[in-house]
Amino acid sequence: MSDQITLTIDGRDVTVPRGTTIFDAARMNGIAIPTLCHQQNQTPVGVCRVCVVDVGARVYAAACIRECDPGMKVKTGTEPVVRARNTLVELLMADHPSPCARQQASGDCELEAMAKASGVSEARYARRLSPRGRDDSSLSIAVDHEACILCDRCIRGCDEVKKNHVIGRSGRGYSAHIGFDLDLPMGSSTCVSCGECMVSCPTGALTNKRVIDAQLPGETLDPEWILQLPVFKGVSGTFLELNKSSLVKRRIAAGEVICREGEFGSTAFYILEGSVDVFIGTPIAHVKQEDASAGWLSRIRSRLADRQEHTRTEESGRRFIPIDAPVDLPYDKPLAELGAGELFGEMTCMSFHPRSATVRAKTEVVVLEMLRNVLDILQKNKTFRAELDRKYRQRALETHLRSVPVFSSMPADFVDYLRDRVELSRYSPGEVIVRQGEAADAFYLVRLGFVKVSERHPGGEVVLTYLGRGSYFGEMGLLGGGVRTATCTALDHVDVVKIAGEDFQLMVSRFPDIRAGLEKVARERAEQNRQRLASTEHVPIDAFLNQGLMEAQSLLLLDLEKCTRCDQCVRACADAHDGVTRLVREGLRFDKYLVASIRRRNSMEIIIEDWCIGCGLCVRNCPYGNLNLHPFEIKVPDPEKPNRMIATTRKKATGCDLCMEHAEPSCVYACPHDAAHRVEPLAFFGTMSAVKDGKRTGSTEATSK
Amino acid sequence: MIIDRSHRSWAVASAAILIVALAAYVPYAVGSPRVGGGTTLGLAYGIVGFGFMAFVTLLSLRKKFPIWRIGRTQTWMRGHLWLGALSLPLILLHAGFLFGHGLASVLMWLFAVVYASGICGAWLQHTMPRRILRDVPMETIYEQIGHVRAQLVDEADRLVADASGRLEVAVPPAASGATVLATVMRVDADVTAPLREFYVHEMRPFVQAPSRSHPLANETSAAGRFEKLRPLLPVSLHAAVADLESICEEERQLMRQARMHGVLHAWLLVHVPLSFALMALAIAHIIGALRY
Repeated sequence: MSDQITLTIDGRDVTVPRGTTIFDAARMNGIAIPTLCHQQNQTPVGVCRVCVVDVGARVYAAACIRECDPGMKVKTGTEPVVRARNTLVELLMADHPSPCARQQASGDCELEAMAKASGVSEARYARRLSPRGRDDSSLSIAVDHEACILCDRCIRGCDEVKKNHVIGRSGRGYSAHIGFDLDLPMGSSTCVSCGECMVSCPTGALTNKRVIDAQLPGETLDPEWILQLPVFKGVSGTFLELNKSSLVKRRIAAGEVICREGEFGSTAFYILEGSVDVFIGTPIAHVKQEDASAGWLSRIRSRLADRQEHTRTEESGRRFIPIDAPVDLPYDKPLAELGAGELFGEMTCMSFHPRSATVRAKTEVVVLEMLRNVLDILQKNKTFRAELDRKYRQRALETHLRSVPVFSSMPADFVDYLRDRVELSRYSPGEVIVRQGEAADAFYLVRLGFVKVSERHPGGEVVLTYLGRGSYFGEMGLLGGGVRTATCTALDHVDVVKIAGEDFQLMVSRFPDIRAGLEKVARERAEQNRQRLASTEHVPIDAFLNQGLMEAQSLLLLDLEKCTRCDQCVRACADAHDGVTRLVREGLRFDKYLVASIRRRNSMEIIIEDWCIGCGLCVRNCPYGNLNLHPFEIKVPDPEKPNRMIATTRKKATGCDLCMEHAEPSCVYACPHDAAHRVEPLAFFGTMSAVKDGKRTGSTEATSK
Repeated sequence: MIIDRSHRSWAVASAAILIVALAAYVPYAVGSPRVGGGTTLGLAYGIVGFGFMAFVTLLSLRKKFPIWRIGRTQTWMRGHLWLGALSLPLILLHAGFLFGHGLASVLMWLFAVVYASGICGAWLQHTMPRRILRDVPMETIYEQIGHVRAQLVDEADRLVADASGRLEVAVPPAASGATVLATVMRVDADVTAPLREFYVHEMRPFVQAPSRSHPLANETSAAGRFEKLRPLLPVSLHAAVADLESICEEERQLMRQARMHGVLHAWLLVHVPLSFALMALAIAHIIGALRY
């Protein structure tokens, strides 16, 4: 049998190898057949049917999948074929949001171009009734399911071209759509943001998230050059081309400041050459309250005090300061060095936290400065993650473990043992790390970001605590019944060090002091949780949960039926704190009460640590208006004249301190109308609720209690 | 301050003092040929009455130094109410229920005005906070009303622009910096004309500079205006209309709050300066009486 066959396409005799599709045969002979679902580098699937041709059979054939037969007579552009093709385009356009994102951005949506060429201006068919929605969870790729024509080009790009096998089909009929992994949001899936799907997509269903007006200072890089760097191995060149302005190279002279603590930024830095110093320039101290004078005229004065001089009962015994870099800073001397191959500024870039430390070039430094879409891709890049993880295991794991008081005594040999056994995991905002009721199989140390610990109850979810870098969780399940007692959820981008259950058991069996320390903490946490929950039995828990009052230990309540809005409480607070009020007469409402201020303790205590840099983020985000910035005058070296000090103002965050120096808070003491009260919330609202219930049922028992 | 059961001890003590004063006065008035401030008992009434007046006046000074630990301010306030209430009967007993002539007469009339304004203030403080709580659920800090009003204008502008503006706009997500393309309602510009017309000519002037005479200042008439507007607009715009209606409601509440706040505090403009004037004249009266 001959390997060559001859057929006729649009009246022309063409000879092609056996097994060639009609689409390829036509293309090889200069005859264009329109298509949407087919690309030359992908296996044809024939799902869009736009490439239909007349082969003389009962039905039209899809040219991309139909192989040529000897003597076949193919007609690609007859009036009935074109009409059928136009009907298909019209049907696809009926569901297509025109202009789609791609058409708006670059005007090259293949479907819309085809519709225009076919003269399909307005679809005669009704749109689908159920919307398929959007998925903006990925930082680099926008998914608009409305614009998806289910051509499967992205699926084949992911499977066949990049071999990532992340995208597939999900749903049936009208609800059919592309899905990532087990139909997860793209940002939560195992997608590595290589960009192949986006490049393959013929419409605006998968588009690049460009950063608006991003023009970073520095040298814009050629994607070819970037791909030479080992850490960018495997990243899509097309993606780098599309995001050229999101990644620059900067050369920084020795002594120059790269980023300053407290500043808001949106970039991360990767050191290519040289080394940098990381330090905190703000005084390592906290705001201390003290009496300025004794007796009835007594006034509280605020001043800065360091830990050696004044230790607060509620603060932890931490010896390291967590920052947005792979190292922690020693409390006594907050200075560290980073070198080539290290990344800093991750949290600022991903979660828009203010810079947690100042970074200054120690030698001449070459850095790559990148925006979050590039950082996201890097973080998902296996080569880069492996390199970062290797450095972390080598350099930072031991410091991290030692910064946790309960592990400070761990022998070096066991740290070495753990070094290659721990798992470094990353979680997206909202992702559940461990779930209440599941089997406890690992212990976690928070490396980056914040974790919410909560318990499920019939009334709703009760938040038990929030854990930041240097905190840990999972010990209660491992030391107790082997079941998770609470759910831990990532609040932002969270990195954790996961110690497997068997390693944890080995550790606690070998080191009784670590076991004792962990058991003590577990007991304390369990007791706090028990007390908190026991006292909510008679309280309208749903209302409490809704308003977030569960975590409070002392509330300033303003009885709005008595309050004449004279602001005497605010004035008193300002008078008591150097003219800086810590009380704003606005906040949550509960019945007739306005919650003007909250004080927390124990695990929910808001402690302003000594290394507060006064960025003001907590002040802006506190839902209770309970945190304020307190300005202080300090002396700093004069940048223009060495050996000379100049005065400048620095701020530190402060919260309500209940005027601890006095028997009663100044706001309550100064209220002339008996409207301001400091209460323990559960007891107060519990009584109130009981009184109301008593009234409702006609019982006098509750009121008499 | 709400006068409730917690004032019982003050009320009982005040009543006791008043009864004792009246009990002493009756035989004195019946038996003595001359009643008035010049007699021993009259002088005693005057001294005690003035003492109460002085204490009552000191509340203003007490409030100036809120952190001084010289007794809770609410205790001072209770004293202010009850001892202030007692001071007038004592001064009347001191004067033998005569208003006298000259300075004494001015003093008595002034005292009456201060006393009346005080009662008025106590009544307002007793009732008005409850009314504010009931009638102004969206209450804000009084000093922030101007700021909130400006925010409402911005919000309303944005609502109308979104409802009748461009078809597709690039919306930068809050603080992310990455672009996201969002599709806003597709509405023909001429369909939205009644909305823009209503907003520009009626609603915006009201939200920007509210006046009680404006039709939207009245809840019923505002509801009528919005009811008339709805049929002129496509259903897709009704949500925007509902938002605008709630902005008007918030504006009305701000107006109400400003008015109630004014009423709740305006009486102090009479009460406080006249109290100090009263004290000054009372001191002049004492000096005069002692000297002549």
